[in-house]
Amino acid sequence: MRRRKRMMEGLDQDIREHIAMETQDNIERGMPPEEARYAAMRKFGNVTRVKEEIREVWSFVWLEQLVQDVRFALRMLGKNPGFAFTAVLILALGIAANVIVFGVLQALVLRQLDVPHADRVMTLQPKDRGPFVSNPEMRDVRDGNTVFSAVADYEFQDFGLEANGVTRPVWGCEVSGQYFEVVGIKPFLGRLLERADDDHPGASEVAVISWSAWQGHFGADPNIVGTTVRIDKHPYTIVGVTPEGFHGTEKIAQLDIFVPMANEASLDGFSWLESRSYRNLFSLVRMKDGVTMPQVQAELNTITSRVARQYPKEEEGLALKLARPGLIGDFMGGPARGFLAGVMGLAGIVLLAACANLGSLFAARTADRAREIAIRMAIGSSRWRILRQLLVEAFVISILGGACACGLAWMALTGLAGWHPPTRYPLNFLFAMPQPSLILLAFLISVIAGVVFGLMPLRQIFKTDPNEAIKSGGSQSYAGRRWALRDVLLAAQIALCCVTITAAFVSLRGLGKALTMDLGFNPKNALLTQFDLSQAAYTGDAADHFQRQLLERTSQIPGVESSGYANTTPLSGDTSVAAVFSQQSVDFRPSNSAFYAYYYDISPGYLAAAGTPLLAGRDVSFTDTPKTPAVAIVNQEFARRLFHSEQAVGRYFKNVDGVSIQIAGIVADGKYFTTSEDPEAAAFLPISQKANTSTALVVRTRRNTADMVSAIREVVLDLDRAVPIRELGPWNNQLALSFFPIQVATVALGIFGAFGLLLSIAGTFGLASYTVSKRLREMSIRVALGAQAKQILSAALGRMLILLGSGSVVGIALGVAASRLLSAIVYQASAQDPVVLAAVALTIMLTGILSVAGPVSRVLHIDPANLLREQ
Amino acid sequence: MSTKEQRERIELLQGTLDLLILRTLLRGPVHGHAIAKAIEFDSDDVLQVEQGSLYPALHRLIKRGWISAEEGTSENNRRAKFYRLTAKGRRQLTIETGKWDKLAGAIAQILRPAE
Repeated sequence: MRRRKRMMEGLDQDIREHIAMETQDNIERGMPPEEARYAAMRKFGNVTRVKEEIREVWSFVWLEQLVQDVRFALRMLGKNPGFAFTAVLILALGIAANVIVFGVLQALVLRQLDVPHADRVMTLQPKDRGPFVSNPEMRDVRDGNTVFSAVADYEFQDFGLEANGVTRPVWGCEVSGQYFEVVGIKPFLGRLLERADDDHPGASEVAVISWSAWQGHFGADPNIVGTTVRIDKHPYTIVGVTPEGFHGTEKIAQLDIFVPMANEASLDGFSWLESRSYRNLFSLVRMKDGVTMPQVQAELNTITSRVARQYPKEEEGLALKLARPGLIGDFMGGPARGFLAGVMGLAGIVLLAACANLGSLFAARTADRAREIAIRMAIGSSRWRILRQLLVEAFVISILGGACACGLAWMALTGLAGWHPPTRYPLNFLFAMPQPSLILLAFLISVIAGVVFGLMPLRQIFKTDPNEAIKSGGSQSYAGRRWALRDVLLAAQIALCCVTITAAFVSLRGLGKALTMDLGFNPKNALLTQFDLSQAAYTGDAADHFQRQLLERTSQIPGVESSGYANTTPLSGDTSVAAVFSQQSVDFRPSNSAFYAYYYDISPGYLAAAGTPLLAGRDVSFTDTPKTPAVAIVNQEFARRLFHSEQAVGRYFKNVDGVSIQIAGIVADGKYFTTSEDPEAAAFLPISQKANTSTALVVRTRRNTADMVSAIREVVLDLDRAVPIRELGPWNNQLALSFFPIQVATVALGIFGAFGLLLSIAGTFGLASYTVSKRLREMSIRVALGAQAKQILSAALGRMLILLGSGSVVGIALGVAASRLLSAIVYQASAQDPVVLAAVALTIMLTGILSVAGPVSRVLHIDPANLLREQ
Repeated sequence: MSTKEQRERIELLQGTLDLLILRTLLRGPVHGHAIAKAIEFDSDDVLQVEQGSLYPALHRLIKRGWISAEEGTSENNRRAKFYRLTAKGRRQLTIETGKWDKLAGAIAQILRPAE
C-alpha cells in the first residue's frame, strides 16, 4: 500500500516532464510553441485514463470492493439498529454457548495432563468395579511387567498441616515411590519423592509441597527446603516444591502436599498397605516408548490372571484396563464425557437454531430488498457481486456476534475457574481457564455461521428477474402464496428450540424430585462436624474415649434434641463397601458373596440425630462391645436381598472374615453414594465394637445455627485443641456436593432452554410481523370489502400456526428421544413424565401466543381507509 | 460481449509493448520519453506508440520486478525518472523474445505455407 502511494506521487510530475520534452522536440523540429504543445498532448493521449490505469496496476480491486461492501453493510445495519442488535445478540449467545461448552470439554476431556510426554501416562482401573485398586495389586503389576517404565499408586488424604504454629487442614496425596517418575516433572525447588523414600514404613519422613501451597501457606519462602513441619502431629521435612501448575494428577483437584505412602499407617491410623481386599488407591503408569496399547493390555491380562490364580479369595476375577488419567479414569471421565458431549450437542442445536433464525430474517430482508437488488442487476451488477455484498453483511454480523461471544465466554470461563464448589474437597475448576485458542474457535464458528445464514437467500437472488421485481414494486406477488424457504426454516427452528426446552424441563423436574426425595435421613436442622482423630495422633481406645466424651458434652448443650456420631455419613463421598455373605457360607470368595453393601460405624443416638427411621428392632448401644456378639442394623433393601422379606430382626449374615453378625434392627432405605442410585443395601455397625478415628458428629437442634456451631466448636477444642476440624456447619452444606452434578446439569440445560425460548420468540415474532407487514395492503382491501376479523386472522397468520404446531410436535418428539441421555445424571429424569410434556406444550403455546400477539393486534386494528390512501 | 474483445486486444498490445520496453532498456537506463522515441526510431516510425500508454506498462513492469525506477537528470538538465532493467527483467526478456519468435514464426508459416 505504501509503495502504491509512493509510485502515484511522482506520476503527475513525470507526465508533465514527458509532455514538456515532447514539446521541446516538436519546437526543435520547427513547430510554433503553442502548436508544439498541443501536438505533444495529442500524442500522449488521455492523461486521466493513463493515471486511472496506473492506479489500477497498483491497487487491489477486490480489496477496495470489499471495503466498499463492508462500509455498505455497516450503513445498512446502522439504518436498522433493531435488526442489527437482535441478530448480533442471537448469534453472540449461540456462539458463546458453543465456545463455553467446548472450552470446558477441551480442558476436562480433550487436553492431556500437563506433564512431559503425557500421551504415555495412563491409569489402570479394574473392569466392572469402582476405580480403586489395592497396593499389593499395583505392586504385582510394577514388579511383573516389561511394558511400563514406572508404576505408581496414590491416595487422596486430608492432613492436619502444622507450620509456623498454625494447624491447617490441607489436602494431599500419599504416593508410592515411583509416582514422580511416572509424572516426569522437574522440581521447582529441592527434590521430589524417590523410590528410597517409600522403601519401608518410616524410611524417610519427608514431604513435597505444591507450588501453590508454597505460595499460599509458606509465603514463597525461598529457604523452604529443609524446613520441618508437622503432618498429623508427625514431624516431616519439606524436601521440595513442585513446578507451578502441578497440583496432582486429577484435573479438578488441587493438592497441596505429597508424602510417601509407606508411612500411611502412622497417618491413617491403620495399615492397608498389605491388604488385597482394601481397595482405596488410584493408579498411574508410564508406558515405555514404542510399546503399543494392545501389548500393554495383553501383558496386563497375563499379570492379573496370574494374580487371580495366586490369591483366589481376594483377587478372583481381577482384570485391569487402561484408561485416560485426569478424571479418575473412566469412572468420572465416562459420565463427564457423555454429559459434555450431550451438552455440546445441545449447544450445536442452539447455534443451528440461531442460524435458522438469522437465515429467515435475512431471507425476509432480501425479499424486502428485492427492488433494490433488481435495480442493481438492471444497471449491470453481477449476481455474484450482489451475493457477495449480502454475504459480507452476514459476515459483519457474525464477526460482531463472535466478538461479543468471545467476551461472554471469557467472563463465564474465568468465573468458573475462580469458583469453589461448596465442599470440603479440594475441587476447583482452574483447568477451565480460557485458552487463546478459543478465540480462533469463536472466529471459525462465526465464519461458518455467517456462511450458513448468509447463503440462505441465495436462491432468491439467483431467481430474481429484474423486470418482474421492478414492475411489481417490490411487493412480490408470490410472497404470500407459496411455502418459502423462511417458512421451513421457522418450523425447523421451532423444532430445535423445543428440543432444548424439553431437555430443560426434564432436568428441572429431575432437580425438583431430587430436592424433595427421601434420602433416608433428614439433613434439615442438623449440624455436621467432621474430623479425623488420627490427625491428632489418637488411636483405638483413645479415640473411642474422646468420641464418647464429645457425645456426652454435646448432648448437654441447651437446644440439642439428639446427637450421635458415625465414621462417615451417607452421601459424603466417603464410603466403604464390603461383601455380604449368607449365614450358610463357608467359601468367602467374592463370587460367592450374596451382594455388596455400604457399611457405616455408628454410635447410639446417631440414627435419631440423623433422622433415619428405625422400623423394627433396637438401636445400637454402648453395651455392644468387642466382647459381646457382633450385631448390625440393616436397611430394608439389605433384608429384602438376603431374606426376600423385611422380617429380618434376630437373623444372621456373615462378613468377608466369616464372622456371624446378628441383625438387631431395620432402618428405612436411603441414598448412600449418589442421589441418582437405585436402592442399595446398607448396614450400620456399632462403632463401640470396632473403634474408628474418623468422626462425623451429627447434632439435631432447635437452636439458631450460628450459636450452635460455635458451641460445638468450643466443646471439640476444649477436649483437645489439636483436633483439626475439617467441617462444621449445617448438614445441607455438605450435601451440596451430592446435588452438584444435577444442579450443574439443570443450570446448563436451563440456560439452553431459556435461550431456545428466546430464539423461538424472536423467530416467530419476526416472521409473523414480516408476513403481516407484507400483506397489510391486501388485508386492508379485504377489510374494506367486509371481511370478518376471524377470516383476516386466518388468512394472515393461519400458516404461522401450522408452522408452530408442526415444529413443536416434531421438536417435542426429538426432545423426548434425546432426554433418555439425561437420566444418567438426573435422578428419575424422564421425558415421558406427563407433567414435563404438559409444561413443555404449555410453554410453547404461551410463547407462540406471546410472539404473535403484536402482529395479531396490528391486523385487527387495520384501518383500510388510512392505509389504502397512503399506498 | 464487446468489453471482452476489447480487453483481449489491449492485452495483446500490452504484452508486445512490455517486450519492446524491455528490449529498449537492454541498452541502459533511460527516461520515459526516451523510451517512446527509441521505439519509434528503431521501428523506422512504423510503430507509433500512444505515449500515454507507455506509463501503465512501465508501472506494471516495476510491480513485477522486471525493471526499477530511479530519479535522475535528463540530457537537457530536466528532472526525470530513469528506468533500468533488473536481472529478473533480463531473464524475462530472453523468455519473452523466445516466445515472440515462436509466435511470429508460427504466424508466418500459416500466412505463407508454400515457403
